[in-house]
Amino acid sequence: MAHDLHANTLPADLGAPAFVDGWRTRALTVALVFSVIAAGLGFADGRGFDIDHVLRAWLLGLMLTFGFCVGGLALLMLQYCTGGKWGLLLRRPLEAMSRTLPLVFAYWIVIAFSLRKLYLWAAVGDVNAALKSGWINEVQAHAIEFKRPMLNPETFIIVSVVCFVIWGYYTWRLNALGLERDAASPATTPEWIKRMENISGPGLVVYAITMSAAAIYWVMSLDPTWYSSVYGLLFLVGQIYSVLALSIIVVISLSKAEPFKTVLRQTEQHDLGKFTFAFVMLNIYLAFSQFLIIWSGNLPEEIPWYLDRILGGWGVIVTLDFIFHWLIPFTLLLSRDLKRNKKRLVWVCQWMVFAKAFDLFWLIEPNFKDAARNLHFSCGILEYVAVPVAMTALWVAAFCTQLKKRPLVQTNDPHLAEILEAEHVHA
Amino acid sequence: MAPRQGTYGLLAEFDTPGDLIRAAQQARQDGWRRMDCYTPYPVEEAAEAIGFHRNKVPLVTLIGGLMGLTAMFLFEVWVSVWAYPLNIAGRPTYSWPAFIVPAYEWTILFAGLSAAFGMLALNGLPALYHPLFNAPNFCDGATTDKFFLCLEALDPKFDLVEARKYLQSFQPVSVVEVEY
Repeated sequence: MAHDLHANTLPADLGAPAFVDGWRTRALTVALVFSVIAAGLGFADGRGFDIDHVLRAWLLGLMLTFGFCVGGLALLMLQYCTGGKWGLLLRRPLEAMSRTLPLVFAYWIVIAFSLRKLYLWAAVGDVNAALKSGWINEVQAHAIEFKRPMLNPETFIIVSVVCFVIWGYYTWRLNALGLERDAASPATTPEWIKRMENISGPGLVVYAITMSAAAIYWVMSLDPTWYSSVYGLLFLVGQIYSVLALSIIVVISLSKAEPFKTVLRQTEQHDLGKFTFAFVMLNIYLAFSQFLIIWSGNLPEEIPWYLDRILGGWGVIVTLDFIFHWLIPFTLLLSRDLKRNKKRLVWVCQWMVFAKAFDLFWLIEPNFKDAARNLHFSCGILEYVAVPVAMTALWVAAFCTQLKKRPLVQTNDPHLAEILEAEHVHA
Repeated sequence: MAPRQGTYGLLAEFDTPGDLIRAAQQARQDGWRRMDCYTPYPVEEAAEAIGFHRNKVPLVTLIGGLMGLTAMFLFEVWVSVWAYPLNIAGRPTYSWPAFIVPAYEWTILFAGLSAAFGMLALNGLPALYHPLFNAPNFCDGATTDKFFLCLEALDPKFDLVEARKYLQSFQPVSVVEVEY
């Protein structure tokens, strides 16, 4: 280009700015405060410790942080396959998200030790006795009996652990190679691009399968009678939805100081906003098609799942879910100005993370007999705020620790020169 | 409208986009508003240099999309509830979930058509005649390797002699007077 416009120079220090430590301290404080609140709420009913609601809320917190962690890994693999400057921008934050896997595994262990309290299929030992006592109905008895080879504690734990091992492998491999690549000479860059692509491509397929397994075992099986073939995909898209929102929050917050002050240009911020918008659309597309297909079919095996979530006051929640999860992000992200405005884009992304948690509440709570078709207030419901906030805050602290460990920009990449070019600002 | 006569403007030809942008930026700074840049490929700085401003295409698209949504949804309600009520698996005639997909399709269709035709309506295309093609160096240059800045006669600052002198100060390859 013949334009006499200068290019930016990469700052010498690519480490995370000092205020990331401040974030970690704040996150730890929030985690502590909300843990205390969660414990207090557990006793607030005055009937001993309400472990049931704590565990349900724990599952919500697990799904949310698991989404950030493994969804981050998925987006990392995706950007290695697609390339693009947005990918280079997000690479190190996504790596840091994927390295929080041990914490998510620890969260999962709590679930693994409480299967009987959460999952009907684990709680019911003798199906006939349970049926006679009126604890479960015939449909449930049949489903539990029929799905026993899949829905039993041993399989649950084996499948989950295998999934964690696979995610762990990809996390380790991509993170180790990410550092190696920076140390290598620029002449080897084309080989590195291919190499990363060759790991990530199959990785995405494996991710889609393992993710579906996890979503089915951990959440869908809460109601042993129901099934939906799009369920895994729904969680997968939901993960990218929340990870993109989180990534935008992270990069914009980091751009208050070097090196992101230099590398985060408005163009790429706009691109990320558009990408997020696409996932807002895809998310509602899948959620609505699942509803439309089940509504059209009108089969007695399928519709109770929706009836549990619409009748008895839940209609309010599902309407709010639609507004929070789709309508608000969709209408706001339509605006070009908003996507180019740092502050407002961060607001929308924070809202989206909240909306994701709200959606998970709607997915999880009506699975339980006391709540299905009966939305009612109890101190237990408040656990859905306290426990996930504490768990997410602890996760954020772990993320900050990981973020500090590496330079924030990968240098051995041809996109780096492009991202340092001065951008064309217009309108 | 009576055919315009006289001078359309003065067309300066440059060899590089850098020269064009410098001239355009300076001209805007000096108070010129009725001017335009012509380049063989999109040069985003050029748009910025002459003060690219917002247009109404997004608004037209939004209104078009909302119209499509409303039109199709109401049409479906009218057909299913009043015009031709059918008993489909015992569902109520007003079954909104079934109406969503066509209404959504019409939103996209109307928004897309509004964007395309709104853009054409607002930018004045298709134009069957443009005076700039009267300039001998324009037709070939603007599609291959030349960069043009045109100061239009409609600008209140325009004066044939002064404007030519002004353009010459940027050392262009040539300055051509363009007739309507």
